[in-house]
This record gives sequence, C-alpha cells and structure tokens, in this order.
Amino acid sequence: MAGRGKLIAVIGDEDTVTGFLLGGIGELNKNRKPNFLVVEKDTSITEIEETFKSFLARNDIAIILINQFIAEMIRHAIDAHMQSIPAVLEIPSKEHPYDASKDSILRRAKGMFSAEDFR
Amino acid sequence: MGVLREEDSCLLLDEKLLYFMDQLELLEGKRKTLNSLIEQGWFSISKARYSMGNKQVSALQFANEMEPLVSVHVRTLENDEVEFCAVRSSRKCNDEFVKEPTSIEDIGPQEEGIRRRKNTKSDVAEKKTSEDISSEKAPEVNPGRKRDHNPQQDPLKWFGILVPQSLKQAQSSFKQVIELSAEIAALQIVVLNARQELKHDLRNNDGSTGAGLNTSARSNEKEADVLSANESS
Repeated sequence: MAGRGKLIAVIGDEDTVTGFLLGGIGELNKNRKPNFLVVEKDTSITEIEETFKSFLARNDIAIILINQFIAEMIRHAIDAHMQSIPAVLEIPSKEHPYDASKDSILRRAKGMFSAEDFR
Repeated sequence: MGVLREEDSCLLLDEKLLYFMDQLELLEGKRKTLNSLIEQGWFSISKARYSMGNKQVSALQFANEMEPLVSVHVRTLENDEVEFCAVRSSRKCNDEFVKEPTSIEDIGPQEEGIRRRKNTKSDVAEKKTSEDISSEKAPEVNPGRKRDHNPQQDPLKWFGILVPQSLKQAQSSFKQVIELSAEIAALQIVVLNARQELKHDLRNNDGSTGAGLNTSARSNEKEADVLSANESS
C-alpha cells in the first residue's frame, strides 16, 4: 500500500467487481479478508449486510462502492450510516441503471426542497 | 438597521443556496460521466469475454494474493469537508518496466526447445548438450518466475499474458472510474454539508427576524425538530 493511503471497497455483481479489481483496488489483508464482495444470485441479504457493516468498521477503507440494486436490499443499513468516512457511493449495475431518486445521499440533499421545508 | 440586517442575511442565504445548487449540478455532471465510463467498461469486459471465452473473464480468475495499486488519501479540512485523493502507486509501474524484458527472454529459449521434434541420433546428442546448458541456465529462470508471484502485479495478468485489447480498454476506463469516484465521494460530503448549513441558517433566520422564505416556520418548528432529530440519529 502506498503511503498511509486508504482503500476503496466494492460490493457488486461479477462484472462490476472484476472491472474495479482490474483498476487495481483489490486487496487481501493478513487475515485474507478481501475488500470486495461478488454478489451472486444465491448471496443472502444477511451476508451482504454483514460485509457492508464489516467494511464500515474497518479503519483502512475510505470509500465503499455499491451497486444501487444491492444498496436497495440493505437501504436501512446505508441510511443509518451518517459519518463522512467511509463514503458510500451508489453505482449502476448492468441490469439496473442508476436512479438518482433512490440514491440515499441525493435524497438527503434534495430533502430540503420538500414541501415540508417550505410550508 | 433591522431591515438592513435582514437584507444581509437574505443575501447570505441566497449565496449559500446558489453554492449548494452549483455543487449539486457539479455532482450530477460527474455522476453522468461516471455512469457512462462504467458502462464503457462493462462493454469492453463483455467484448473480452466474447473473444476469450465465458469462463476466462470471471471471478474465478482473481489472484490468490492481491495488493492494492490505488490508495485514497483522506484529508479533513477545517470546515468539516473531506478531501479524497486517489493515488496510483508508482512502484507497480517501475516493476512492470523491469519485468517485461526478462519475461520475454525467459519464454524464448523454452519455446525453441519444444519445437525440435525430430529424433535423430545427432539430435539426441545435441539435446544432451542443450539440457546441460539449460540446467546451467535454470537458476537464471527461477528469479523471473518468483517475481511473477509478486502480489503487486498488474491485474490484467490474472486473465492471461496475451489479453485482448478490449480488456485493456476495460482496465483503463475503470481506472478513470476509480479516480472519478474519489472526486464524487468528496463532492457528496460538500453537498451534504452545504445543505446542513443552509438549513441551519434558514431556521436561524426565521427564528430571529420572523421573515424570509418560510412564513409559518414557527408553527412548524416542532416538525423541523423532529426532522433534525431523525437526521442526527
């Protein structure tokens, strides 16, 4: 690892993870724990949630990239994360295009223009 | 005096709102670029899969040992803003330049040995001498192979030595995505902070002057408190 830099973690379908690992973000630490999770058809939501929480708990991760359709499965866990580090970034997946109205950050940001704020 | 103060605070609010909108627009623009780059990457991966075979580009090809070639430097600024800076380690590039010529030299003589298939007596004698030479050369080959096990190798090599151009294109577009995602992560925090500040100022403005955008803010104060409590939890 160069300097004291942190890692980028990724939770996504096979092609997304493959692409990001090609980009050079992959790491297996001393305990052989990876900083990525390939979500397949038989991957349970509990497993995804646990992995996401374990990434949140790690000090060496700065950004978590997650496919939006997977983020939808664990929306409660993503909404509960309020810290700025690690930053959670929702990205599109092959079968599900990016929808800004579902993005938790944009929903939070646009929340201020809701009817309730201007009543 | 009161009117002036009110005007000033309104101007300040306008400024902050414009800043917030600008950042939001910037975020949206970068998002669009990120999405199109990712799409491009997938397309290239699919092309590579088509030419290499279905199982050749999959999670099964990932190396057993990996070390990140990109790291993110995080800097917290004074105004609660966080800066993410994706840095590609330079060590990898240097290693590549050193590795490539040796790997070509290693492959050359081995292939020549395999191509000679005629079993004449003279060839057998030649083989013996060539084996002696190769056994002498063996210690030179090993270090090259050891270097190949270096976990900080180019991930392209997980998928073979001669990978198609499309896989290289996929790699370059995902490299761009990684850099862009660091920028977007920082921008997201800027947007959230700007929004928080604006909301706080709006509430203060309403509380002190009773004027502004929200005329019935006081009656809705309880609702706002509930909202902020939800946010802080």
